[in-house]
Amino acid sequence: MTSKLAAKPLSRRTLLKQAAGVTAGATLGMPAIAQSKPFAGLKLRGAAYQHGFFNHLKKYIPEFEAATGMTVDLQLSAFPVYNQQADLELSSGGSAWDFCNVTFILAARWISAGLLSNLDDFSGDRKLTPASWNPDDFVKGAQVPYVDKDGKTYGYSWEGGAMLMGISRMDLMKKRGLSVPRTFDDLMKVADGIHGQQDVTGFVSSNLHHWFVPPYIHGFGGDIFANPPGDIRPTLDSAAAVQAVDYYGRLLSKYSPQGVLGYTEDQARAALLGGRSNIFIHSSSWVTAMLTSPDSKVKETALVTRMPLGPKGDFPAANSQGLGIPKNAKNKEAAWAFIQWALSPELTARIVKDTGHASICRRSIIESAEYKRLNTINGQDIGKLYLDVLQQPAVGRNYMAYRTVKEFPLMGDVVNKAVERVVSGQMPAAESMRVAQEAALSSLRRSGAKV
Amino acid sequence: MALASYESQRRRFARQAFAPSLLFLILVAGLPTLFLIITSLTPAALVNPGSLTDFSEPFRNYILLLRDKRFVGSLWVQAKLSFYTVTMQVLIGTSMALLVHAGQGRWQSLRHLFVIPMVLPPIVVAVIWKLIYTPDISPIYRAAKAIGIVLPSLTTHVDFALWAIVIADTWEWAPFTFLMVLAALQTLPSEYVEAARMDGADTIGVFLHIVLPYIAPVLLVCTLFRVIDSIKAFPLIFLLTGGGPGSVTEVTNYYAYLVAFNFGELGYSSAITVVLLSLTVVISWAAMRASRSNQSIE
Amino acid sequence: MKKYILHWAVPLLLILMLMPFLWLLQMSFKPTPLILEFPPQLFFTPTLEHYVGLWKDGFPESFVNSLITSTISTALALLMGVPAAYALSRWSGPGKFGLGLGILLTRMAPPIAFTIPFFLAYRWLGLLDTRTGLILIYMTFNLPLVIWMMQPFFDAVPASLEEAALMDGAGFPTVFAEIVMPVASAGIAATAILCFLYAWNDFFFALILTRTDARTAPVAVVNFMNYEGWEWGKIAAGGSLVMAPVLVFSLLVRRYLVSGLTAGAVKG
Repeated sequence: MTSKLAAKPLSRRTLLKQAAGVTAGATLGMPAIAQSKPFAGLKLRGAAYQHGFFNHLKKYIPEFEAATGMTVDLQLSAFPVYNQQADLELSSGGSAWDFCNVTFILAARWISAGLLSNLDDFSGDRKLTPASWNPDDFVKGAQVPYVDKDGKTYGYSWEGGAMLMGISRMDLMKKRGLSVPRTFDDLMKVADGIHGQQDVTGFVSSNLHHWFVPPYIHGFGGDIFANPPGDIRPTLDSAAAVQAVDYYGRLLSKYSPQGVLGYTEDQARAALLGGRSNIFIHSSSWVTAMLTSPDSKVKETALVTRMPLGPKGDFPAANSQGLGIPKNAKNKEAAWAFIQWALSPELTARIVKDTGHASICRRSIIESAEYKRLNTINGQDIGKLYLDVLQQPAVGRNYMAYRTVKEFPLMGDVVNKAVERVVSGQMPAAESMRVAQEAALSSLRRSGAKV
Repeated sequence: MALASYESQRRRFARQAFAPSLLFLILVAGLPTLFLIITSLTPAALVNPGSLTDFSEPFRNYILLLRDKRFVGSLWVQAKLSFYTVTMQVLIGTSMALLVHAGQGRWQSLRHLFVIPMVLPPIVVAVIWKLIYTPDISPIYRAAKAIGIVLPSLTTHVDFALWAIVIADTWEWAPFTFLMVLAALQTLPSEYVEAARMDGADTIGVFLHIVLPYIAPVLLVCTLFRVIDSIKAFPLIFLLTGGGPGSVTEVTNYYAYLVAFNFGELGYSSAITVVLLSLTVVISWAAMRASRSNQSIE
Repeated sequence: MKKYILHWAVPLLLILMLMPFLWLLQMSFKPTPLILEFPPQLFFTPTLEHYVGLWKDGFPESFVNSLITSTISTALALLMGVPAAYALSRWSGPGKFGLGLGILLTRMAPPIAFTIPFFLAYRWLGLLDTRTGLILIYMTFNLPLVIWMMQPFFDAVPASLEEAALMDGAGFPTVFAEIVMPVASAGIAATAILCFLYAWNDFFFALILTRTDARTAPVAVVNFMNYEGWEWGKIAAGGSLVMAPVLVFSLLVRRYLVSGLTAGAVKG
């Protein structure tokens, strides 16, 4: 590069322009090679679901477009609509998108069906990705769904879902002499103690039971499958699973708002933020909103902490959402340039600093002083809680392995229906899980699994 | 002589006029139906390439259907839904028609406004009723709360969820029966009624012996058409209950949709759809016979 | 007293029945903070903020998609269906019942029966998420509707009218175009509007066969129910916009509604 500059008769203007291009490229985390508009004229198409992160990202996209010359068309849809359309699009081998969100529920299905591009080819190519991008910087627990059994990576996580417990009415807790619940038994007692006080419900949840129930199943000593990802015989009728669904079912039917079975996540969050429900156990960004959101009425009385332990251990759910490149994408290199930029350490740090968005997945950023400073609210070190839970599956046994089974979407649906039956009073937990086990077996067999 | 050549001219023109439509319909309706039946004989799944042409076990899907409790349950839910909603629609629609007709032309111009619920896009109807059924935001729930009554959340209640759908569906389609019965009532010769009155019949007698037999054929056709349409129920269930709680509002059409587009099992879903289609064929045949015989009476 | 109640029963019933629909309409003009307030304010300063918000959120594109797919599928259905209806009307041969049943079935089949094969075919043909794809599948119910609805209109045109023109030496196509069609024109207008209404109201086909390019208005309304909070103002505005054309049109064709909705099986 130096030789190139020396060879040409330089004008001050050319020198400045080239210098600016290099600097801009470096700030955006791109290789410091003199490239002006490498993707000029290209239209990059991508899709994801509506999430705060993409709203933030969209503000920075013009910089990216200016540096690379491409235009980025990022289509956002509602979460369930996106998932269905993405599944159909990728299963049909479509090439309408160059990059897309890889939803955790569908990641295993897509990876095992070979519907995503192997990203190691891009991240390992020094011509495309600088060493400073460091793929190992992503928290292992968050990368689990995107890595196949041979260790190849098919997605990089942009969002970490670390399950934490949000308590909105510490004032009521103090009044009733209740301390923060540490075990499942404590949780039930606290829910009972608060429920009905000043029109507050003890608990709240939403209709994603396949996400909320497994920690209780694990906590009581069971699992969704016998030994995922190898042995995928469903174990929904085990004593532990029945106990868990009975427990969770009681939390919903006795201590939650009316109509909770129909609640979406944002309805549950609204109840928490409005102080109408005391406890919500969900991914960190949903519960930390109590402390950070302008809509929150409980900023002074809120506490974010780890969810309670079960008799057999502590298994808070951890998931993530990732960005990937469909197998038949037309503009893979351009798509990688985008993903690389969007998840680069530099941009991630900027987003955290500018917007306070905290559920990112780069360890170096999470452990940085700046992050700690921004995420210690009311004396609570949210960053540490977040990281601890996100890493948990990679520390001991990988209890989130059930997520990596490609047939999980079928199981998720079965678990949802089982919980609905229990909460609406149609069947007791034992019978409902027996029905669920039968349905799971026939569903799995029909899809060709040998169980 | 000239007439005979007109006939042949006419016939030739008719063939030419009909051919494009016939060909087109065979292409967009006939072939897909054939394709559907063929797909139902395979374990077609989008994530398994090659499964689309796997005819090794052609009747596997149908045998699985017989043993699929969820499928059998969905047929039962469908039967319940169709029965309740068609009965309600016909009863309410007929009552509305009788009421308007009794007004003797005073409210004629208003009758077109009754039509509004049934021409609204069905998804908008679903949005409206979602608003009404969500306890947090529904004016009805909050009004009840204000006077101290806590209404149960209908769409998540095992006993009321199906009725919630029935109510919304009746709201949407009662105008259909209303229009048909009103039209029929307006052709009822008034002499019949007058004659009956002069014989000393009271209102109920007139209704039972004169009006009801007169509108019975229309009611029959109406009922049959509404039953056929009730099999297609989708937007309400999609938005209001998602088939739940559990599978209490999961009709066969919705189950077929889940299997096809959430699980990606196109072969199995095709089998479910073929069963549904057969049902539609039978009822449509009956409906057509009934309506054609109606028209020949007229 | 009883007479009074009975006298006003009909308009009261009408208002009661239309309440849910009116509620959505008024919600689309209510400022956001007031929307979920209880007791609801019946008098408020209306605002257009939700409609403006829709405009910026990609809704116009879906509106245009709906407009294009509905109009073109209607036009094509009329082009092919009107002559076909005439032919069927003048047909005295066998198979009329069977043909009629086949056509009725196409109208009455559950949408999923067509969606699965069309989805697979479009995937192969590259017609997924295109307006052309939607137009084609809308023909599965629009073309039969035209044939069913227009047939009685042509039945009502006496053959003697045609014969008179034929005797004057006109060819059949001319007779059809200049004698028969004008008489049936009212029926054509009504049928056109009904076809438009059915295509416009479709939800299922658009949900499965489109992604973002060809997304129609009914699917776009559902898309507003998003992850971070149901935007009720925009949902109400979107719903109101989506129902506006069909309301206007259906009031125009009210005389033919029953006939159209029963696919011509019963005259209005």
